[in-house]
Amino acid sequence: MIELHQIAAALYLAAGIGSLLGLLLPDTRVSRGGAWGLGLAACVHAAAFATLHELDPAPPLTDLAIVLSMSAWMAVLFVLALMWRLRIVGLAAAVGPFAFLAVFVAALQLQGAAISAAPVSGTWPHAHVLLAAAGFALLGTAGLAGAFFLLEHKRIKAKRGPAQGAVLPSLEALDRVNEVALAVGFTLLSLGVLTGMAWQQNALGTLWSGGTHETWMVVAWSIYGGLVVVRFAGRQGGRQAAASALAGFLFLMFAVIGVGLWA
Amino acid sequence: MKILLVGMNHESAPVEVRERFAVDDPGALLAKLVAYDEIDEAVVVSTCNRVELCVTTHQPSSAQHTLMRCFAGDEDSTYLHSGRAAVAHVLRVASSIDSMIVGEPQILGQMKDAYRSAVEHDACGPVLSRLFQRAFATAKRVKNETGIAQRPVSVARVAVDLARQIFERFEDKKALLVGAGEMIELALDALQHAGLEQVRIANRTVANAEELAARFGASAHGLDELDTLLGEVDVVLTSIGGEGRLIDAERVKRVLARRRRRPLFFIDIGVPRNVDPDVDRLDNAYLYDVDDLEQVSQRNAEERRREAQRAEGIVAEEEQRFDGWLVALEAVPTIRHLRSSAERMRVAELERTLARLGADVSDGDREALDQLTKSIVNKLLHSPVARLRAETDREEGIAMLEAARTLFGLDDPPPDEPDR
Repeated sequence: MIELHQIAAALYLAAGIGSLLGLLLPDTRVSRGGAWGLGLAACVHAAAFATLHELDPAPPLTDLAIVLSMSAWMAVLFVLALMWRLRIVGLAAAVGPFAFLAVFVAALQLQGAAISAAPVSGTWPHAHVLLAAAGFALLGTAGLAGAFFLLEHKRIKAKRGPAQGAVLPSLEALDRVNEVALAVGFTLLSLGVLTGMAWQQNALGTLWSGGTHETWMVVAWSIYGGLVVVRFAGRQGGRQAAASALAGFLFLMFAVIGVGLWA
Repeated sequence: MKILLVGMNHESAPVEVRERFAVDDPGALLAKLVAYDEIDEAVVVSTCNRVELCVTTHQPSSAQHTLMRCFAGDEDSTYLHSGRAAVAHVLRVASSIDSMIVGEPQILGQMKDAYRSAVEHDACGPVLSRLFQRAFATAKRVKNETGIAQRPVSVARVAVDLARQIFERFEDKKALLVGAGEMIELALDALQHAGLEQVRIANRTVANAEELAARFGASAHGLDELDTLLGEVDVVLTSIGGEGRLIDAERVKRVLARRRRRPLFFIDIGVPRNVDPDVDRLDNAYLYDVDDLEQVSQRNAEERRREAQRAEGIVAEEEQRFDGWLVALEAVPTIRHLRSSAERMRVAELERTLARLGADVSDGDREALDQLTKSIVNKLLHSPVARLRAETDREEGIAMLEAARTLFGLDDPPPDEPDR
């Protein structure tokens, strides 16, 4: 499994570099090659997960490394799925390196301690980890799309003109990715929080144990709730929505990874 | 055989000169050209930026005078290319390196039309056919291998290209064009070409807007509907005189509040400007005025010129390839001519010798003498013929052919087979 993770990490890095080169040269074919590389890396990554239960009947699902790796995989799948409909091949330049970092850390077997003290067995831990990781992945994608949006917005306002040959996503496409990722990501995160509470209830007999991870996650969830309300009430322009998605994800990263490592 | 090209273009002659020599019906001119003894094949290229006559000839000097007579009175405004320079010129023109707007795509279609017309009028033979086919292939390579045609340079197309940075697709977008002048018409054409079908045209004189709207399948409105229209559309293109700052920042701010997050893209090509520059400070509004568009256009033109340098390399390669084919074509009659001259000489000398020897020579000896002379001639010709064949794909091939013709006295065609 570790070997497959390492191969996937290398492929993510290569795909990210390829996509970045495609944007810088600029060359559409190189960008597309980067996107295909991302797809290949996702397949290898899937194979790595497929071996998870074969090697260990009770894999350490709640390990930070596994959560990170799974989130990266889901984010890549989400971006690849959106590529069918939107001109966002350029996003691979950002998704690739992020996926590489996440999978590389996982491949190093970072034992950042389990993010919950509750025993890991049964359906609830699986559901919680999968849903929360998927939510984390999609909100991460919303943040990336937001970062891209801000860069593009700045470039257009600076009147530098379009970069021909590059597959830079349009502002509309980035805003759409942001919107879909935020809506679906927040729903998954909410389900992740609920299943986490159910897991606590099932394992420890309480919905709320007051642990650091739970507290920070609820704070992050509340912040995202506010962002979703503001966004879908139409009170934000594209730039504010992008900045909010980026800031929200940075906070979520801190709440999951920062607090997880610190704890 | 030599390729000659005489013509004038946007650099050598002003439009008032070019228009006098523009050819509406190339058929008559093609028929006239190939009727001259000195001209074998001809193609006439006539566009708004150039008039060029390209021919093949065996009498270059005479053909040059004939071609120059076609531009009587304005010979000083013409250029003449012959041989390799003519080939390179045709390849450069087809590849749009020689165009007023480098990389513009129309010239290739115009060259194809010119070639088709020459073929239809039986004025195009194997050499010019090959040359023009090579020119079309070169243009394709230049388009695919360089970025010469990628960046738009016309204001209308630059505007469409800029809009693509903001909008994912145009099919579901709406545009508002304020004004009904020529620039608006060009922009409308470019926008519809890009897929934007839902267009509203607003003008001070609604009748003018209606006339334009009827031609392009758009709807016509008065300027009093501007507020409502701004709320409905995604792209606003303005070019209207006498209205000053028709759209101010406050008005756009109010409109944006109604539009939720949908961005509004303004292209202001009016002089004086029709849209308040402060509009660009608003978050979901993007504004490019005529100077911004001009700057992008100039950067793109500069980029095209850089790409044209790369295209010159492709042209040089293709020209070399065509030249190799031409030299090979030239070598065949020369080698044939050389062999037939040698054979005539051998037969004449053999007959003279046999006549001197009289009846004492047996049939067997005659046969042996015949074989001997054939063998000597073949051995003597083997080296020069092999060299001529070997050199056909090299630059020196033409020089070697000319040397062979001079050394072996082959300037006149053999009496039994006229050389083309």
